[in-house]
Amino acid sequence: MSLDPVKVMKGQDPMALSSPLASNGDSKASWEESEGFCDGLGPKKPKSGPVRRARKVEGGIFFPKPENAVTIAVSSRVLFRTEKEQKVFEEKGVEEYIKYQMEHENEPFAPGPAFPFVKALETVNARLRELYPDSEELFDIVLVTYNHAHVGVRLINTINHHNLFIERFCMTGGSSPIGYLKAWHTNLYLSADAEKVQEALAQGIAAATMFMPEKQIEVSETQLRVAFDGDAVLFSDESERIFKAHGLDKFFEHERENENTLLDHGPLKGFLEALGKLQKKFYAKGHRLDCPIRTYLVTARSAASSGIRALKTLRAWGLEIDEALFLAGAPKGPMLEKIRPHIYFDDQMFHVEGAVEMGTIAAHVPYGIAQKYPHKKGTNFAK
Amino acid sequence: MDPDVQESAETQQSGSALVTAVSCHDIFDLSACQTDSSPLAKGAAFSFINAVQAVNQRLVKHNANEMLRFEVILLGKDCEEQIKSKIFDSAKHYGLKIGKFYFCSRGEFVRTLQANNAKLFLSTDRDDVYGALKAGVPAALLCQQADQQVQEQLKVLFSGDLIGLSEDVIDGLKDFGFSAVQIQNFKAAKGCIQEFAALIGEMRKRFGCKDSPLQTILITVLGSRDVCATALKTLRGWGLDVDEAFCLAGAPRNPILTTIQPHILWDDGLHNMKGVLPLMDMSS
Repeated sequence: MSLDPVKVMKGQDPMALSSPLASNGDSKASWEESEGFCDGLGPKKPKSGPVRRARKVEGGIFFPKPENAVTIAVSSRVLFRTEKEQKVFEEKGVEEYIKYQMEHENEPFAPGPAFPFVKALETVNARLRELYPDSEELFDIVLVTYNHAHVGVRLINTINHHNLFIERFCMTGGSSPIGYLKAWHTNLYLSADAEKVQEALAQGIAAATMFMPEKQIEVSETQLRVAFDGDAVLFSDESERIFKAHGLDKFFEHERENENTLLDHGPLKGFLEALGKLQKKFYAKGHRLDCPIRTYLVTARSAASSGIRALKTLRAWGLEIDEALFLAGAPKGPMLEKIRPHIYFDDQMFHVEGAVEMGTIAAHVPYGIAQKYPHKKGTNFAK
Repeated sequence: MDPDVQESAETQQSGSALVTAVSCHDIFDLSACQTDSSPLAKGAAFSFINAVQAVNQRLVKHNANEMLRFEVILLGKDCEEQIKSKIFDSAKHYGLKIGKFYFCSRGEFVRTLQANNAKLFLSTDRDDVYGALKAGVPAALLCQQADQQVQEQLKVLFSGDLIGLSEDVIDGLKDFGFSAVQIQNFKAAKGCIQEFAALIGEMRKRFGCKDSPLQTILITVLGSRDVCATALKTLRGWGLDVDEAFCLAGAPRNPILTTIQPHILWDDGLHNMKGVLPLMDMSS
């Protein structure tokens, strides 16, 4: 039972790091806690903390400061499969649920819809650590659940069983996790609970509800693939609104007239930006062709017409997307099946369900006008 | 100065009560003291008393003969005579159910705690807390609440590092830049925490999962997830199943603590660390 002989990292000047990657626009990157919580009360005393001796880290795994990393918060229900337990909770109440969890404490949960995504994030981290051993610009995965801590041991046993690199978690025992999402500078929050996701979106945190595919198609183990819908995900829902209110022709007209006006940003723009920053780190070391992160735009817009505005907007934002697929209204399912993303974000449940049916891991972003006017199944529109 | 004791009509049967000693300075603002008869202003941790009384009320509601309750005693160090009576009157004015008031000199306060079988001493002053811990009196930090008015639950926060890290690991902490004093404080706290945890655990069992006036929380800052798991199991062995658990793996704890807003914080003394820390593990 001895301590890992990991040496301590040399303190770095926070300003030397590139700007932090928080999606909520927060730009604090302070390394030192100026006012300690519960400090500063009572008579003032000189600080008794020791001066850190500067030593270099070698091969030790350290965990980055949340504001410097791309923080992904996942709930236990999307990281693992907990349907059985969920049923106990819904049918018999919280006390029985906790009893059940404790009785099955040594049985690890099976992987859930976010599991491949988290594994892929770890793969990227491993590559980043090889190339930039001292950098804090990594993915930081935090388990954020409103489970009671009684379930904690089972969750930790499961993480150990699957050999995941998750050391950070919040079990809020029933209270809202939103405050903690902010404290962790969360860049993306994935949950099974649509309400919590909506709350997070309202607070400016990128968030999506995940669904378990019925059949599971294999995804890459070496390359993280993230696919985004365009309107109301990367971009605002302004064009979506025109389409829903005035129909297809008006939509086309509007897009043509406003071709050179940038679209406003949507809830997942920040996350795409964060991915882009990490991609550039690979390019800088000559890994453009075998970059372990690949991004996709999968939109119903048409390449020749309405898609132009989307591309111009992305360009103006300085965001590179690896593949842009303009489907002109064709179903997204088959295309996604070819891409096999670790996660696909769409604002319309219709598309999410379609993707999930074909085995794609899809996440619903409950944002914008589409939530009020759900798409009717069976209609196909070329945008 | 000899220890001064004033007892009010609120004295309960001590027996199995959780005798909690709190510093006067924290409950009342003793700096701006008027000579008139107006009561003292509320101190930094005044809301703690309200939260404790809410717990007691609920305990008695469940069982009118409940013996396991918080029994708050106030401790005043080096207080002048006029302050003493002001404290007594102010407590009455605010309707605080405080059993005993002890006034002693700075040097006497630990002995006073021991003499009165205090199961817990709370103060916002770290030095006082460590002084008590070194003498074997369970002590924790009393935290100021951001919003003094809103009081839903009494929140008790335990350190997962304190409970989960083993003795041999603790000695090795000096390799990470912690001072001998900090390691001493850590050990002192570790020695005292079990009894208090067991009492809180028992008290917590009186309430259900939801709507409890008492909330117990575990936070692990330096230790790995396995350290956190060990802490959870250890606490369970002592009779306490915490409600909330947080594992920070070296992340700054202020943002999380500010969100939690605990009243009682079992400090492990390992703070003011700058820079990135490697993860502390217990595994070989």
